[in-house]
Amino acid sequence: MGNSSMSIGRYAIYACLIIFAVLYLMPLYVMITTSLKDIEEIRQGNLLSLPAAPTLYAWAKAWGSACTGSECEGLAPFFFNSIRIVVPAVLISTLIGALNGYVLAKWRFRGSEFLFAALLFGCFIPFQVILLPMARLLATFGLANTVTGLVLVHVIYGVAFTTLFFRNFYVSVPTELVKAAQLDGANFFQIFRHIFLPISLPIFTVTIIWQFTQIWNDFLFGVVYSGQGTQPITVALNNLVNTSVGGKEYNVDMAAALIAALPTLVVYVLAGKYFVRGLTAGAVKG
Amino acid sequence: MHQNVKKQSVLDLLEAWLPKIIMAPTTLAMIVCMYGFIAWTGALSFTKSRMLPQWDFVGFIQYEKLFANPRWDVAMSNLVVFGVLFIAISLLIGLVLAIFLDQKIRGEGAIRTIYLYPMAVSFVVTGTAWKWILNPGLGIEKMVRDLGFTDFEFRWLVDQEMAIYTIVIAAVWQSSGFVMAMFLAGLRSVDDSLIKAAQIDGASAWQSYWHVILPILRPVFFSAIVILSHIAIKSFDLVQALTGGGPGYASDLPANFMYTFAFNRAQMGIGAASAMVMLFGVLAILVPYLYSELRGSNRG
Amino acid sequence: MGSLTISNVTKTFGSTEVLKGINIDIADGEFLILVGPSGCGKSTLMNTIAGLEEVTTGQLLLAGEDVTERSPKDRDIAMVFQSYALYPTMNVARNISFGLEMRGVPKQERDQRVQEVSTLLQINHLLDRKPSQLSGGQRQRVAMGRALARSPRVYLFDEPLSNLDAKLRVEMRTEIKKLHKRLGTTIVYVTHDQIEAMTLADRIAVMKDGVVQQLGTPNEIYDNPANQFVAGFMGSPPMNFVPCEVNSDGSLAIDTSSHSLSLTIPQSSTLKAQNISRVILGLRPEMLTEPKPERAGDSVMALEMDFDVTEPMGADTIAIGEWNGIEILARLSPEAGLRAGKSTPVQVDLSKVVLFDPESGERIR
Repeated sequence: MGNSSMSIGRYAIYACLIIFAVLYLMPLYVMITTSLKDIEEIRQGNLLSLPAAPTLYAWAKAWGSACTGSECEGLAPFFFNSIRIVVPAVLISTLIGALNGYVLAKWRFRGSEFLFAALLFGCFIPFQVILLPMARLLATFGLANTVTGLVLVHVIYGVAFTTLFFRNFYVSVPTELVKAAQLDGANFFQIFRHIFLPISLPIFTVTIIWQFTQIWNDFLFGVVYSGQGTQPITVALNNLVNTSVGGKEYNVDMAAALIAALPTLVVYVLAGKYFVRGLTAGAVKG
Repeated sequence: MHQNVKKQSVLDLLEAWLPKIIMAPTTLAMIVCMYGFIAWTGALSFTKSRMLPQWDFVGFIQYEKLFANPRWDVAMSNLVVFGVLFIAISLLIGLVLAIFLDQKIRGEGAIRTIYLYPMAVSFVVTGTAWKWILNPGLGIEKMVRDLGFTDFEFRWLVDQEMAIYTIVIAAVWQSSGFVMAMFLAGLRSVDDSLIKAAQIDGASAWQSYWHVILPILRPVFFSAIVILSHIAIKSFDLVQALTGGGPGYASDLPANFMYTFAFNRAQMGIGAASAMVMLFGVLAILVPYLYSELRGSNRG
Repeated sequence: MGSLTISNVTKTFGSTEVLKGINIDIADGEFLILVGPSGCGKSTLMNTIAGLEEVTTGQLLLAGEDVTERSPKDRDIAMVFQSYALYPTMNVARNISFGLEMRGVPKQERDQRVQEVSTLLQINHLLDRKPSQLSGGQRQRVAMGRALARSPRVYLFDEPLSNLDAKLRVEMRTEIKKLHKRLGTTIVYVTHDQIEAMTLADRIAVMKDGVVQQLGTPNEIYDNPANQFVAGFMGSPPMNFVPCEVNSDGSLAIDTSSHSLSLTIPQSSTLKAQNISRVILGLRPEMLTEPKPERAGDSVMALEMDFDVTEPMGADTIAIGEWNGIEILARLSPEAGLRAGKSTPVQVDLSKVVLFDPESGERIR
């Protein structure tokens, strides 16, 4: 069964795995190299070739002066729009999810399981069915095309997921701990603060990373609910790529795509395993 | 004395209601923004609404118009083609990669990281990148021609028949790593002693997988199919970025149809109808799956 | 046919040596039990016999053939796992016949074999069920059926009864013993339960820290332990170990909490001749009993003891007293007339006492 040298089978396996790794990395490689080439080289050259004279022209333009529709301010303002949207949305939806998860895991009441199921079910609906009425709702409250409105939308539809994550995590805390604390005289919030919060770092990490990635990468809500100055970077990127004033500048397109992708990629590289946990936790649902 | 007791009981009452109070905002949001909105959209689909909602009910006219619309036809058939290919190919790649990675590979962590990073980026970024890679003239076509195959053509992106397949390629690239992660977790959860028993029973590695391990992974298959179907039905970003639904509307998917008609063309009624049809599509997959899950766990 | 020779087998995991030179000759049809505390290497040894682990050095011979390099499926052995390892997606019939299926046995023959085996184990009403629908005892039988179906030359049992409740365990123990009698096939059996070892084995290999401490029949191990570890491991309640000073005439000085005595034992002359001054006395609780006139003899001595704690066990009562500052257990009949606060007359049978060196734990003969 065991041999000291690799069998043909194992070579084949390694070869296959490496080929796929190359395939997965290829688009990233292409994006980076293209973004560093000048436009002449792109026209003459070849998808996979390395830039002959790497230049940051495309990056500077993508960031500061590319045209996204009628404006030509680059992606910078939209990058900050995304930050203004993502930070509150992630924090609020995570906190609400934590408390909800706490309640659903340890403070069940009549109908709470049904509530959870209804919430979970709501995770699966295609958002197309709420786009129109939500637009009306935001308009009614004067939040149409505002950052606040978009944050609200992300919070409302993100809470279902965050609640799921926290609830599944807190369910594994022994209920006896809660009962013991109650006997000791602690109330609802004290138990949360002293027993659940201290052990919650892993789930907060998973949830925040998950929410950050989802909301930063969102396009649908962004394109429907934002207006001229309030668009997130994904919408701006799409506009940039589809606006061809003069000739198409593929290097700028690629630089822009990388700028849009950078935050979530960095988070993934630094904290990848939490990301995976979020994926599989959401997938292998309760 | 009496005052104290009374005060305590009010606090107690508050505390007993606290869980419900905490859940109240979410519950309200859920009732209004999920189920309420679904009802609203549903009701809208039975009206004559165009740019603004008009509440005069006209029966199924919007649905009739929808199904008579050639663009919707294309969107639906695209969804079937895309969905089937996307799910089948992602499952195959994900399973094969997971099995390979389960063979005690050196550098497994690094390889897994590489397979999963596409999930971290937005579909818009994916669409943009692949739009460039598949660029007729400057992308893959030129690259292969430069290698000597001067007659090579790869113009799928602008080909009416083939555009939808470009979406399959990009979507599989983005999501197959996730399927791999699911299968790998499933493989790892198979009890070691089962594999030993199969070894002693004389099964080769291939036979062990086929007869023992893969049947155990059946639930993972189903979970993956449900999740991939969900991704397929919701696909909007990728299409917008990669093809814009084009050429023309050759690579349109229902989500793009809905957006175009509801928001760009001021045809709220049809838009609402298309959204409801999408919802029923999702339910048609979800409900039997949940039903069989619940029945299974009750019996199991 | 089914003889198994384990020759100088060592097994190293990384930098840890788990098996340190095992030599066991198992005769055809013998029921050998490997017993020892957790971490002693018995499961590792079992895995190397099965071929699930490779030996680092050494040889394994099955019926004279060298099988050291062979894969598990080519060794003609079957194994029953502690967790049963039944294939969850197959029904009982297929679980049993899977090994035959993998070896290309034709369907008719497989079905016949399944019938034979399931009738023998009284599980033929369960053939269509899946493992999740069976009780623990039923699963255990299916696991055994799977091993039996292949008619191998050697059976390996890896703690097969440890997941069963006490009553079932006793039942299944008897079943296994009957099975062995009927089949006559070599069995290598791993357990941490020394009662199982004593009742089932033809011979026992007591293991500790990767070394076989003693290999012998149950009686040999029980009455003639090679060292203090073996003596203390086998037997329940365990042997008493009393550190003693040796008097100049070879007798042992014993100080119960109420009396002082000198015990003259069969080994006393040896002790005197070898000038040994300190020993550890090994005395089994059943040798310290209420006075039994029928057992009187040279090596039986009457004395009185105080007992602080008693544990009634139904058939006997375990009484705890003190010798030389050490807790000592006696096995008294329930009617022994224990008197609280007063000394109880007992007798000690010194014919089977064993002595151990206080430093090495080795037997002093």
